[in-house]
Amino acid sequence: MSPSRGGAVGATVLRPGVQSSVQDAGRRVRALGVPAGGAADPVARRLANALVGNAAGAAGLEVTLGGPTILFHEEALVSLCGPPFDATLDGTPLPLWRAVPVQAGQTLTVGGTARGLRAFLAVRGGLNGHEVFGSRATDLRAGFGGVQGRALRPGDHLTWSPLPAQAARRAFIAPDLRTPTGPQHEVRVLGTGDLTPDLRDSLLARPFTVSAQADRMGARLTESVAAPRDPARPSVPNVPGLLQLPPDGRPILLLPDAGTHGGYPTPLVVITADLPRLGQLRPGDTLTLREVTREDAHAAHLTQERALRQAEWMLRQAVERGK
Amino acid sequence: MPTPSGPDLPTFEWLGDAALNVRTPLARELYASLRAQPLSGVLEAVPALDLLTLLLDAPTGDGAVQEAVAARLTTLTPAPGGSGRTLVVPVTFDGPDLDWCAAHANLDRAGFVAALCAAQLEVAFLGFTPGFAFLTGLPGPLRMPRLDAPRERVPPGSVALGGPWAGVYPRETPGGWRLVGRTPMNFFDLSRAAPVPWRAGDRVRFEARA
Repeated sequence: MSPSRGGAVGATVLRPGVQSSVQDAGRRVRALGVPAGGAADPVARRLANALVGNAAGAAGLEVTLGGPTILFHEEALVSLCGPPFDATLDGTPLPLWRAVPVQAGQTLTVGGTARGLRAFLAVRGGLNGHEVFGSRATDLRAGFGGVQGRALRPGDHLTWSPLPAQAARRAFIAPDLRTPTGPQHEVRVLGTGDLTPDLRDSLLARPFTVSAQADRMGARLTESVAAPRDPARPSVPNVPGLLQLPPDGRPILLLPDAGTHGGYPTPLVVITADLPRLGQLRPGDTLTLREVTREDAHAAHLTQERALRQAEWMLRQAVERGK
Repeated sequence: MPTPSGPDLPTFEWLGDAALNVRTPLARELYASLRAQPLSGVLEAVPALDLLTLLLDAPTGDGAVQEAVAARLTTLTPAPGGSGRTLVVPVTFDGPDLDWCAAHANLDRAGFVAALCAAQLEVAFLGFTPGFAFLTGLPGPLRMPRLDAPRERVPPGSVALGGPWAGVYPRETPGGWRLVGRTPMNFFDLSRAAPVPWRAGDRVRFEARA
């Protein structure tokens, strides 16, 4: 069945949720001062897209803390991946980590979650949105990309690219592939040239609490450490997962919308394999930083990437066979 | 053969498992070279002052990228002309800090404006906000201390001086630099094919308009 041409297409946002924005794999123009952006939990983004047969970097909806209510005007195949958000389709519980068909006229409601922070809602075909520097990701601070450069509002209209309809096939995603959610986290880090013995002692020895200041730019931790002060320090490029130490000593872990450069000491960087965990840091969670070697980080990435690629391949096969 | 050494040799520092800082006086030339001829495994090159941060497409356990960058650097020579492009930025000098800055430089208003317009500036790198350029090359007397407390809102187009830098705020943001004027030029305009008109290595000159 194809959507009735001439009738309503896409979907309407009835309630936007706490902060829902169009995100994809982000952009790569830091040299122009433009933050990367993109889904804060890339594992959820990749698996959600694979479940509905999308390319890994297709745009979907990143929902935060409490999700949106969306009325579909045409049929769609959707998947919601992330922490255990309560979600329903016309009042019937919607399973997460599954491809779920939606009929025209049905309402998808994503409620809250008791743990974790963000989920990714993929729609087969990929959401449309304002494309800037090769990405539809919403930059909330600079105000571009996605839907008018902002989080969803009631009445917003969502559309997606047409792809041949596919039946949903049951496909299973191993739970240990999913990004772990709180309330207790351990994140592996590597030291930089800024890591002094004193900072190593104060940053690696004890748990930190995630503060209420946890947004797409960064997650600020509550407890402070003695921060080195150097007002003449030049601005240098930031990288994903950098731990920044501003003068008040409360560390900030940088997320995808962080500015491209910073002038504060940056003694630690979260390893690539653990970056998705930063997207699930919820205010009140505790976080411990554990130092590893670059070889450990490389091995962790290879293990994770191998498992993810295998899962993505199998999920796509399931969609193909489900024709 | 003696081991090469000297202040101009590059230094490398890992920044996590998938980024490498390359410190070298040839950072600008390396950036231009990598743009013209990308290096396998390098996803993005982000310039700062005498520094290029390379973001790799995946974590690596070996030193292959570092070796490739070191090899590329040996093929480069300093390019004093930067990118060869010059941008002229028209400025109306009426900023709220103009008189303070002129006094700080021991100049009258006209003398200060003339000195600033005579300065040969260069885009060292972009950062802070989309399209914001850190312009280097200010003569010593024109280098201004930053404000003790940043303004909460700096109007878009403001031309500002802070420490060794000059800059133009592309959009309304907080800012701690001294505001000397404003330009109608927009340095982040998504309606243009090239939203950001300048890049690291471009020469810049301010031109006073009535």
